[in-house]
Amino acid sequence: MWSQTLTNPGRRLQQAPGGAARQRRRRRAAPLVGRFRYGYVSPAVLLVAVLLYLPFLWTVYQSFTSYSGLGPMTWTGLANYRTLLHDPYLLSAIRNTLLWVAGTLVLPVALGLLVAVLSYNLPHGGWYRLPFLLPYAMSGTGVAVAWGIILEHGGIANNLLSAIGLPGGGESFLLYAPQNSIAMIIASTWQQLGVNALLFVVGLQSIPREPIEAARLDGASGWTLFRRIIWPLLAPLTTVVVGLALVASLKTFDIVWVMTQGGPGRSSETLAITMYKDTFVADQYGYGSAVAIFLTVVTGIVSWLYLRRQLSSRRAIGA
Amino acid sequence: MNRSHRLLAAAGAAAVMLVPAIAGCASASGSGSAPHKTQLKLYNDKGAWTPFFQQMGSLSKQQIGIGMTPVGYTDENTYQAFIDASFRTDVKPDLFTWTTGGRLQQIVSLGQVASTSALWKQAIAAGNLSPSLEPYYTVNGQQYCVPLNVSYWGMFYNKHVFGKYGLTPPTTWAQFLNVAQTLKSHGVTPFYETSTLFTFVWFEQLLAGSDPTLYNDLSTGKASYTSPGVVSVMKLWQSFINDGYMSNPGVTTDPSVMLQQGQVAMVPDGSWFNTSMTQLKLKAGTDYGFFIIPNVNPSLAQTSLIFESGPLCSLTNAPDPAASTEYMSWWLKQGPQQQWSTSRGDLSANPKVTLSGDADLSAVTSEVRAGKYNLLLRYFEAAPAPVLATALDAFAAFMVHPGTYMSVLQQIQTSAQSYWSTHKAGS
Repeated sequence: MWSQTLTNPGRRLQQAPGGAARQRRRRRAAPLVGRFRYGYVSPAVLLVAVLLYLPFLWTVYQSFTSYSGLGPMTWTGLANYRTLLHDPYLLSAIRNTLLWVAGTLVLPVALGLLVAVLSYNLPHGGWYRLPFLLPYAMSGTGVAVAWGIILEHGGIANNLLSAIGLPGGGESFLLYAPQNSIAMIIASTWQQLGVNALLFVVGLQSIPREPIEAARLDGASGWTLFRRIIWPLLAPLTTVVVGLALVASLKTFDIVWVMTQGGPGRSSETLAITMYKDTFVADQYGYGSAVAIFLTVVTGIVSWLYLRRQLSSRRAIGA
Repeated sequence: MNRSHRLLAAAGAAAVMLVPAIAGCASASGSGSAPHKTQLKLYNDKGAWTPFFQQMGSLSKQQIGIGMTPVGYTDENTYQAFIDASFRTDVKPDLFTWTTGGRLQQIVSLGQVASTSALWKQAIAAGNLSPSLEPYYTVNGQQYCVPLNVSYWGMFYNKHVFGKYGLTPPTTWAQFLNVAQTLKSHGVTPFYETSTLFTFVWFEQLLAGSDPTLYNDLSTGKASYTSPGVVSVMKLWQSFINDGYMSNPGVTTDPSVMLQQGQVAMVPDGSWFNTSMTQLKLKAGTDYGFFIIPNVNPSLAQTSLIFESGPLCSLTNAPDPAASTEYMSWWLKQGPQQQWSTSRGDLSANPKVTLSGDADLSAVTSEVRAGKYNLLLRYFEAAPAPVLATALDAFAAFMVHPGTYMSVLQQIQTSAQSYWSTHKAGS
């Protein structure tokens, strides 16, 4: 029906009740795309079902078992979830993940907004944003390797701080918690900031000129203009940027895995790292699956709560 | 378009998608009568050794007509996940490297690893393998896999640094401590330690040199990690850290580079560390040396020596089991092993092989054969996998916060208790 409506939007309204023969003729005359619409969509549906939903259901099942990755799988009911509740490493991983969520919202999003706003009205503003955007073209692993060299004990950061006479020349940035997580959040910010700035610029470009000009005529400028006019009008874009940052921070993996592997002594593990280590390093596939389900539920709930609140508040103001 | 037409269209599209997949499955499962392979793939977790494997591949092609291409992984976890997956799928390696101990028992219990009892029998009879290695490759009376390499764990040291301060390799624990103290007093960090993967090395060495029986009992679930002997070892390790004898565990620079540059004077490692030194163009006997770490406890009858032997394995349903077996049989012979040993500058499992140009390692090999040392399996292989996983993280945490040694031991003991509650202690 959707495709029919799209190809001929008025069709459904034109149809009179009754007249089965006429309806059949119309169906025969329908565009080819309408006839095979389920056929066209089924490969994609099948692909998603096979590659996403089936593995997910398998992971749910596996979370109720004890399985080493080799040999037999034993049904253990809720045992993995009971262990989860008393796992001190899980608590530490939750704490680190929350740090990532907070850090990601504060740094890449806020700084991205700042870069976008400051460079927006400048002549050749795009050139100012370019250096921030370039790191986004790098893979997470590449960024992690580069920042690992910078932040390791005796690395570039230590040498630079010593050379200019600042404290921190002998600091081990990646050794102690929580500063190892904070250091990695800074590395992640370096990569993410540019794309957030770009998204905010797109948002700024979509703001109509009239309300801004009207506010200026009323005497608003600077911070007041931003806070009262621009920021509320940027809300749809902010919802997207914050939502993406929220989900990305909850499933942080690559940068931590490459830089510290969650260590030393599991001190910088996020939930995604805990899931990976329990599954593939400790060979506890059942328990690792339980952590995966926990992470999925947390991400789902947080995303749902956030989007529900954002979308309903904008609906309320008629956005 | 009525409902049945729609269903038909959907089924048609799905069938178009599925046909290649089904065909793929059919072709994979129908490879029972594969032709004799002349080029094998050797999957391994020793990515840095790729050039040495390639040399062996060229040699085998010349000598037996079967070439070998290495597929090297550098990330241990990714490698193990791949091998684990190969047991459940049709993607089987021709040959692969593994570890002895619990992990070998684990894969053998699945019934998919090809038995090598006949190969061992032939090799021992021909003098190409020592019977002393056989127990580490034996599960339920049968042998599986063959030795890829054999390594003894000792201390590599920078000869220039030792020479500068008039130091010689220690033969007693008192001398060992004196060397460390002298180096420290001259501002040189004596020892290397790392919080990544090889976190067990100092625990293993100090415990083996203090109480080898306790070391073995710990690995087999007959002793507790919180027993007084283990606690005193952790206290000793703690004192080394507090005295400034250890390098910063967060440094990720390759230890061979640190040794070369004198950032540390000594690196405890397996003799395979020679390969890294060779790659840096360092000369054994001139730039660096190797000594066996003396026992902490001088009353022990023999010096404890940690050893490891990495297996080279094949599967019963490998793409061409006969070709894999033929390759392993060739691998054990003196000619190939001499090449393997010389190119890497490391020891061989074949007793006929001599290591030229490294007097220290050659002497150790002779002494081992003369029965001078009490050989103990490396902790990485000796500890059950879940206990090892906990211990590796716990030791890393200890290095960062040495005062937490008791809680670290309790963590490992909790993991050990959980493991041995479902496994027979002593196995």
